[in-house]
Amino acid sequence: MNKALEHSFVEQLERHQNIVHKVCRLYTNNQDAHNDLFQEITIQLWKAFPKFRGDAKFSTWMYRVGLNTAITLYRKSKRRINTQDFDAIQFKIKADEYDDTEEEQLKILYKAVHQLNDIEKALVFLYLEDKNYKEISETMGISEVNARVKMNRVKNKLRTILNP
Amino acid sequence: MDELELLKKGWKNEDTSRFPKLTYNEICGMILKKSSSIVKWIFIISILEFVFWTLISFVLKDADYNKRFDSYHAENIMIPFIVLGYIILAYFFYKFFTNYRTISATDNAKKLMETILKTRKTVKQYVAFNLIYMALSVFIVLGIQFNKDEEMISLIEQASANGELFRFYAVTSLIAIAAVLVIIGVILGFYYLIYGILLKRLNNNYKELKRLET
Repeated sequence: MNKALEHSFVEQLERHQNIVHKVCRLYTNNQDAHNDLFQEITIQLWKAFPKFRGDAKFSTWMYRVGLNTAITLYRKSKRRINTQDFDAIQFKIKADEYDDTEEEQLKILYKAVHQLNDIEKALVFLYLEDKNYKEISETMGISEVNARVKMNRVKNKLRTILNP
Repeated sequence: MDELELLKKGWKNEDTSRFPKLTYNEICGMILKKSSSIVKWIFIISILEFVFWTLISFVLKDADYNKRFDSYHAENIMIPFIVLGYIILAYFFYKFFTNYRTISATDNAKKLMETILKTRKTVKQYVAFNLIYMALSVFIVLGIQFNKDEEMISLIEQASANGELFRFYAVTSLIAIAAVLVIIGVILGFYYLIYGILLKRLNNNYKELKRLET
């Protein structure tokens, strides 16, 4: 693949890398796993890039490849050793910068989301990214009605996890 | 406030500077690395399966036992059987590669899982075909030996003279069946282990998506 293509890809990924980080944030719970998944998503994006026509936004296209990698293609690496939890290091609360209670609540919510299955996480992710049900249904390959029904179930499940 | 709304608010306000910020050069380095995706593993294992079964057929062809078998002059049965085996191998190979090429990370999640499972299914069918083919070969060979192998014929005559002809056929067939079942069992156990581990997550996620549609 030529240099121009590589440049265009890397430049766009560098700009939109937070999308990939956010996918990793939902599907992993420590830094090593995060990096591992990030690496695999990057490879899959690069492999699929020649087919990216530009008819969709680069970011929209990234959601699809990113989620597909997290849900289906990614094989958890065996060599990885479990290091500290994200909540302990990466997302440490800085008291002077954040509202303590809101931050604490958010941490609890993330923990709850981590208890969902892969498909439910994908739905939550797309919802958090403000995707409408049409986009959610297209990304997941399910009907719009079923996406709506499932989203309500996920909300209920989260409520149950949070208020056992 | 609704739990998800709260999460959404936090998600949007989340200080993304807490994510590691990768530089242009770091990303460049990443795209040079090799993927370790499940598709790659299925591809490698499938190729090994094709190689394994092809090698097995060559090894058996050269075995001493087979040279003895040549003296039975049963070519009219064995040659069509072998040719059929190769035609079917070619068919599976073709199907495997066309399936593999349709796997695309830009499909929707369900479609992607379906194409991966389809690729896997082709190889599974190939393995099933080999096991059936192997079992059939054992019984065809046994049938030919009953009729053409001199040692076997003298054993049959001896058994017949002792009035134990039925017992002889029954014992020989049962030994052959038991041997075939043991081999099939070992091979299936092996597959169950490899693919059980490799495809567990994919199967679960696929079932979950399917369940949403019913």
